[in-house]
Amino acid sequence: MRLFFGRKKQTQLAESLGAASAPNAQQFWAMVWRRFRSNRPALWSLRLLVVLLGIAFFADFLANEKPLYCKIEGKRYFPVLADYGQALGWTNPDPQFLNVDWKDLEYERVWWAPVAYSASTIDVYNAPFKGPFDRQVVAEDRFWHWLGTDDLGRDVAAGMLAGTRMAMLVGVVAMSVACFFGIILGLLAGYYGDSRLRWTRVRLLANGVALVAAWFYGFAARSYALAESEWPPGELGKSILLGLVLLVVANVGASQLERFPLLARKRALPVDLLVMRAIEVLESVPGLLFLLAILAVIEKPGILDVMVIIGFLSWTSVARFVRAELLRIRTLPYIEAAQVMGFSEWRIIWRHALPNALGPILVVVAFGVAGAILAEASLSFLGLGLSIDQVSWGSMINKAREDFSAWWLALLPGLAIFATVTIFNLIGDGLAQAMDAKLNQ
Amino acid sequence: MLWYFGRRLLLFVPTLLIISLVAFGLSRLAPGDPIQCGTQDLLEHGLGANSYESARTRYREEARRKGLDKPPFYLAIRPAAYPDTLYRILERYQRQTLRKLIDQYGNWPQIQAYAQRLEDWERQLYQLPRERSRDAQIRLERDLRLLKLSYRQERVESYFVKMQALIEADSLLREDLGPAWQALREAYTQILDEATPERLLQPALHWYGTDNQYHFWLFNFLRGDFGYSCRNGQAVADRLGGALWWTLIMSLPAILLSYLIAVPIGIRAATRRDSWFDRISTLILFLLYSLPSFWVATLLIVFVTTAEYGAWLDLFPTSGVGELPDEAPFWARLGERAHHLILPVFCMTYASLSFISRQMRTGVLYVLGQDFIRTAHAKGLPPRRVVWRHVFRNALFPLITLVALILPGVISGSVIVELIFNIPGMGRETISAIQARDWPVVYTILMLSAILTLLGNLLADLLYTLADPRVSYD
Repeated sequence: MRLFFGRKKQTQLAESLGAASAPNAQQFWAMVWRRFRSNRPALWSLRLLVVLLGIAFFADFLANEKPLYCKIEGKRYFPVLADYGQALGWTNPDPQFLNVDWKDLEYERVWWAPVAYSASTIDVYNAPFKGPFDRQVVAEDRFWHWLGTDDLGRDVAAGMLAGTRMAMLVGVVAMSVACFFGIILGLLAGYYGDSRLRWTRVRLLANGVALVAAWFYGFAARSYALAESEWPPGELGKSILLGLVLLVVANVGASQLERFPLLARKRALPVDLLVMRAIEVLESVPGLLFLLAILAVIEKPGILDVMVIIGFLSWTSVARFVRAELLRIRTLPYIEAAQVMGFSEWRIIWRHALPNALGPILVVVAFGVAGAILAEASLSFLGLGLSIDQVSWGSMINKAREDFSAWWLALLPGLAIFATVTIFNLIGDGLAQAMDAKLNQ
Repeated sequence: MLWYFGRRLLLFVPTLLIISLVAFGLSRLAPGDPIQCGTQDLLEHGLGANSYESARTRYREEARRKGLDKPPFYLAIRPAAYPDTLYRILERYQRQTLRKLIDQYGNWPQIQAYAQRLEDWERQLYQLPRERSRDAQIRLERDLRLLKLSYRQERVESYFVKMQALIEADSLLREDLGPAWQALREAYTQILDEATPERLLQPALHWYGTDNQYHFWLFNFLRGDFGYSCRNGQAVADRLGGALWWTLIMSLPAILLSYLIAVPIGIRAATRRDSWFDRISTLILFLLYSLPSFWVATLLIVFVTTAEYGAWLDLFPTSGVGELPDEAPFWARLGERAHHLILPVFCMTYASLSFISRQMRTGVLYVLGQDFIRTAHAKGLPPRRVVWRHVFRNALFPLITLVALILPGVISGSVIVELIFNIPGMGRETISAIQARDWPVVYTILMLSAILTLLGNLLADLLYTLADPRVSYD
């Protein structure tokens, strides 16, 4: 080559080839961002989302029955921050503030949170159902319930802020669970299909046996330890560790036995078929019905149970998209090149195929968060999943049905759900448009 | 083609089997005693031995009637320490206590002996004449109830100590219950002394054959016998039939209305892309799409069903389906029903309307960009004809996909709308069945909605070939 082109020519050629053939990842995301930015509703939704996340993160500082800062008898206190210290186990509660009504204390100086109530603070003087314009019994104007109270006298503004945190948490937890299952299963199904994952007979057998053994020794034989232990996550961890050890042993054993030709004959594992059947099973029962049936099994379902189950029921859409992307990507030349270069399958899947499939996942996640928030709101509207002292937007709307005069309870939390769901839908739409392949040309 | 759909039908079988297993597994995991569903506490008994025995007989009868005295499944893989007859202990909480004992000590013969002694002693306690020492006796009965549920060593022993003190304090009780009490305590010590935890590490497979709860339920279901609701003993088919009627009355108009409104809007918005109509309709539909229906329903109930915010807003009835006596004229009854159903039907319509319309618009826009539409325009066809003959037919695909969702929607109904407006349809029935853990009803609803979803998907695939002859599954 060097004979025909000069050295300079060669580097020029390499550069131009590089620029033409590798629209690299940075360029792709820069383009997506440029297009997304030009979509005004989507951009504004993203900004509002940042605000919502900020509210969720700092909810304790925005609505709290304790002062942010106060000075009593010459001593300075930071009660809200102190709560964090106690939650982390760093400090002990100050005995003089136990069972104290913070609004009755004598302060030399005090800074209240913008809403001077926690979501669970019960203000008996303003119960039940005091509207923003009704006559309220408050010591100072700054303790006015700006958005009214509910049946127990809990502040609606504080409830709205706590509800924001709840909604964001639902979105994050549910979608993390959904992405965990959805990405792994979608990757396997899309990359391997029905015929490309070929294991030797002995390896298939060994893994099957190891799975049954892991279930038996990890869970069936240890059921007492799992159910009765002081700290269940530790016992669960031991069980899982035991299972993993069994799987490793099985695979090491299998690789030794693969020397015998009879055992080493390969069989294809129909990954795609199995994953698609699982998706079909989960999608054939209406979502809310399935959710309710699973929740009926749990003795006292908490909000975390609800989030995880919502996530578990929504991995199917993530898996479908990842699978479709992988079906497209795996035929691209660069994957073939990677295979020819002898990279391991894991490396190809995680380093080369997955990053290219991330775009569509983002779109699904945006819509998925909207769906998860709606699902959680419906459940708390039905009175499921929340403990007595927890408040979410859905449970607040439900209160409005007890007293039709409480228009603020009917209107405000629903508006918040509506706005949040719209924000996520707009972001999802914006992302989908920004990544639309048809516009690339 | 036929072969393709035949194969699809065959693939339903494993899917439905898995769903039936999931439903059955959920019912086994759910808390509560299924034998006692819908009955008063059958094990609660009055004074005297007769009453005690008859309570237990009644319990066994109820279990047999509900088919819950059979083994749960065809087989069980368990530690060898478990007996294969554990299912014969009908009381769920007693069974769980014994399980916990086995999981700790692994010696079923000793545990069985202990359970037997416990029962013997209980019978003796209830056979005692009441007038003797009521106070001590009642306390013993209460402690016994808790002892029967205890499996941790320190708890069991604390009850032993308590009860021992009560027995020791009363010479008559000591005389009557003493020997059996000693036997009971010895039986427990024997469990501890002769523990064989290594038996827990040895797997064993028990085969129960086809006379089991799952088989019984599944084959009855396949024969069309859905069993009986455990809440009031009504046949599930009758119960769901009544509910289905109300759901159909609500969902059929809702579906019809939403298609009638959504399709023209979608087409018009797409054919006049970027006109003011397109912009406004897209915006409104987008907002409607994000409106949670339970919120809208609550708003409607709060603001337009009572005179709370002005007498002129008392437009609709708050809930229910409107009951007029049968002798009222037909039109009056119809009017009353319609008046009650306007709000729920509205709530169901707007939700699907926005979705269908958005799908329709996207579909039409895609078709409008195709070459054959340009050709149709170029050869001078009137625009109206182009839209309805050429575009519409090709834009049917998204609509057909939606048809697949309608079938199961009819079964599960719109859970929340029915609940809010208190309409006795499938949705409300589903919720109440799940909350009451009325598993025969829940099984049936889960299975029927799964079957209808699968059939809906199949129907959609069939309709694709009708809408576009180029689609072929060969």
